[in-house]
Amino acid sequence: MGMGMGSDPMERLVKLASESAVVIFSVSSCCMCHAVKRLFCGMGVNPAVYELDQDPRGKELERALMRLLGNSQAVPVVFIGGKLIGSMDRVMASHINGTLVPLLKEAGALWL
Amino acid sequence: MENHRVGETGLTDSGPSSNYHHHAVLHGMNAPISSNFIHQNGSAFGFGELEEAIVPHGVELTNDEAKAPALFTRSRPSSATLAMLPSNWSLRFQQTPRVESWNSRGESTDSVSSSAVNTLPSNQLQPESPISQKESSSADHHQPFNHKPLQQQQLEMASDISSLNQSAAQEKGRGSSSSEKQPDAKTLRRLAQNREAARKSRLRKKAYVQQLESSRIKLAQLEQDLQRTRSQGFFVGGCAAAFGNISSGAAMFDMEYSRWLEDDHRHLSELRTRLHAHLSDTDLQTIVDGYISHYDKIFRLKEAAAKSDVLHLITGMWMTPVERCFVWIGDFRPSELIKMLVSQLDPLTEHQVMGICNLQHSSQQAEEALTLGLEQLYHSLMDSIASGPVIHEMQQMAVALSKLANLEGFLHQADNLRQQILHQLPRILTVRQTARCFLVIGGYNQRLRALSSLWASHGPPEVLISDDQSCQTTDLQMVMVQQSQNHFSNF
Repeated sequence: MGMGMGSDPMERLVKLASESAVVIFSVSSCCMCHAVKRLFCGMGVNPAVYELDQDPRGKELERALMRLLGNSQAVPVVFIGGKLIGSMDRVMASHINGTLVPLLKEAGALWL
Repeated sequence: MENHRVGETGLTDSGPSSNYHHHAVLHGMNAPISSNFIHQNGSAFGFGELEEAIVPHGVELTNDEAKAPALFTRSRPSSATLAMLPSNWSLRFQQTPRVESWNSRGESTDSVSSSAVNTLPSNQLQPESPISQKESSSADHHQPFNHKPLQQQQLEMASDISSLNQSAAQEKGRGSSSSEKQPDAKTLRRLAQNREAARKSRLRKKAYVQQLESSRIKLAQLEQDLQRTRSQGFFVGGCAAAFGNISSGAAMFDMEYSRWLEDDHRHLSELRTRLHAHLSDTDLQTIVDGYISHYDKIFRLKEAAAKSDVLHLITGMWMTPVERCFVWIGDFRPSELIKMLVSQLDPLTEHQVMGICNLQHSSQQAEEALTLGLEQLYHSLMDSIASGPVIHEMQQMAVALSKLANLEGFLHQADNLRQQILHQLPRILTVRQTARCFLVIGGYNQRLRALSSLWASHGPPEVLISDDQSCQTTDLQMVMVQQSQNHFSNF
């Protein structure tokens, strides 16, 4: 999966987010990113992970994510089926209130 | 008894030539004990009276001084006279050998004045001889000071002095004393009095030490009670910080938490009575919603407190020790709580059972993910500190500190998980079931806290396990009695 050549970081984000059923924007040293990855793996989902610290234009993407979330924390951010889910607390909340699994199934990330 | 003014004017019935010496002697009497005799408002003390008091008791003066009142000499008081004085007085005249006789009373040698002061509680001179007691009963009491009339104290001092002199004469065997001519009975009596005085001093000292010991034990007990009360969630003033090593943010949270616990207790009582009162579901819903808001409040408080002291929260230091055994990232493990609820909430519809099981399963997955993330954080932290040799220690510390700051994020996620689960329960269960749920959780937590206090105060109980596997312990019975008013388990 190649990195998009869109000049606008937001466009790039959106493009990358739609290329897989589950997309996680991460930083390799971030422990919360590790937690969210393990959550999906534990559910049997195989997410696409973009480590922004390993991307030459990663800083731009981080800033775009911060703007998108209105958050000082750029990562982790999760997209399912191209749609923004949010940071870890949004992911947890949707898992507990039972909306996460249907979303995953809808996106084709989970089969039962 | 005539009035004598104490002070620089000296004694009025003595000759002017001896004024100076009286002055000197009076100043020499300024040891703490003797000040009771001298510096009393309106009372007077004269050495002349002492002299008169001494003489009738037949104190053996030295042969060459027997005829002259020892004090009324131009030179410094005679050794025999000084021997008659309590040790702290004679010290002023640098009369050291005589005071050693006080050692027979069990006091230390060198710092005589202080030891003599310590052993003779001020305001008291024990009447130690039958003579002084007999005399004091008939004493003229028109000049009282302290607790005893002047004359009585003078007589007691006199007997002290005389017995001192006798023991000095007897034990030191100074040439100036006429020890060989002592009738044995008198000497023995004096010695007995000395021993008696010494014994009483020792007893007083022992009593004082015992008092100190019991105070120490009382203090330890009070501290334990305080700790127990605190762990039961009652607000104990601002003394959280008094337990040392607790930040102000943590102390403030602890205070807020104990208030929250009081509120919790009230909420649960109300919930229980309303549930048993068979209210309409709408009314009960209000109360249930109120209880959820009550929990939202503690999560908000924790969030705020985490900014100032995340370690205090995440290590569970704000909980009772037994609760702390079960801590998972700063509080209860949600999946365990749900497991407990399932067993207590029968009957549930199949739909509800599925809902609760899914909830438990999702919670377990989330907990696992957070636990793994946290573990990675701990390993990363370890790596940043463990690496050596360290060239830039401050840099290493800065890296470690920024990693440690990530704990706040994990605590936030864990609390968020707990909050989400509590909000999810009323979506799966009926109002009544939700109310029962909260009562089960509340009762469980209360028993955990009670267990913690019991452990703190009694340790493991004497448990008798009979054949039918029932445990009988009076401690447990005590707890049940205590808990009877907070009895949430039956509904």
